[in-house]
Amino acid sequence: MTEVPVKIQHNNEWVVVKLGIGDDRITVPAPVNKEIIFKTVADIAEKKNILIITVKTDTETVYRILSVEKVLQVLKKLILGSCNAYRLMAYFMSPAIRGGVMVKDAQWDKGSVVVVRSGIWFVSAVKQVCVPVNDVAAIELTKRDVQGKPTDVIRIDHLDSGEVSSSLVLCPLSTLQVLYNYLKDTTKSMDMKGNELDAVDQQVAMLVYSGMDSHAIENMLNIPHKQLDTIYDKILNLGLGEVVTIRREIQLTTKGVRYISDATKSQTN
Amino acid sequence: MGKILIVDDTLFMRTLLKNILFSGGHTIVGEAGDGEEGIAKYKELKPDLVTMDIVMPKLNGIEALKAIKESDPAARIVMCTAVGQEQMVKLAIKSGAKGYIIKPFQAPKVLEEVKNVLAS
Repeated sequence: MTEVPVKIQHNNEWVVVKLGIGDDRITVPAPVNKEIIFKTVADIAEKKNILIITVKTDTETVYRILSVEKVLQVLKKLILGSCNAYRLMAYFMSPAIRGGVMVKDAQWDKGSVVVVRSGIWFVSAVKQVCVPVNDVAAIELTKRDVQGKPTDVIRIDHLDSGEVSSSLVLCPLSTLQVLYNYLKDTTKSMDMKGNELDAVDQQVAMLVYSGMDSHAIENMLNIPHKQLDTIYDKILNLGLGEVVTIRREIQLTTKGVRYISDATKSQTN
Repeated sequence: MGKILIVDDTLFMRTLLKNILFSGGHTIVGEAGDGEEGIAKYKELKPDLVTMDIVMPKLNGIEALKAIKESDPAARIVMCTAVGQEQMVKLAIKSGAKGYIIKPFQAPKVLEEVKNVLAS
């Protein structure tokens, strides 16, 4: 059994242990004294260099493991290969498009797509990419030119560090349809009717996405501040946006006017 | 920094691109609302770069691209298209487009692509 050094959260503290890695389980020695059987893993997520593993038996137990990337890669590969998840062999390209621009030299990787509770993992011999379910913006069955032929693929649009990236999955059409249905079902909570925003609201949303601030949006769409505020409220209430900055508009008091008048005088004298 | 011609049939997209490119220090020398107007404006204004929508009335972006490249093989044209029309992008690249941006886009990515094409 191979041993790897990690820190694991135990009773709200990080403790250093040497995990024993077997074919079907990880052995966590004292003071934790547990075994993580891969088949019982219901979810796996990664935040920075912390691996969050949810094991479901009669109860649910969450393990947080902190280690260097190389060790986490080994753990992820083993767990994703055997955990309790929807899994299929496929070609994937992640990301294929980033921020509206196709990623140069993006290539198809041969590997598997593993769908767990909190995310969609793309795993190959050299890559482990996770798209959290909450970051999935759209899933679409579409066509892409693959080796000169228009081929059915699934496109998954997702947020990655604030910008929309698209990943592509390629496999036989029948499997693709099953995966598409499964992914649509997994991300159902994010679905909307599509008529929640009117034309102007949609333009505002697109301008926000493009990086325009409130002032630029007001000028571009020629709408007053109050109307923009109402549209922002609508976008916020629908959960389509979040407040980043609250900007204030002020006017000068008599004291303020006197101050700048004096300042102007002293500059011109 | 370059002199740029924006060809797009929607005022909203033209205004958005104008804002983004202007904020990046570029000069917008002209705008056109369809492919035909785009060709005419290109001949008149001789811009350093054109952003060209693909789906447009009268003459689409691919046909306009071909016509511009025929009259000026050195023309730098960046295609601008919606998600799901990436097949058209391939055709555009074959026809001589230097780059592409996919709507919806983010300002930094647009500026990066324009910078790359202007440097090519």
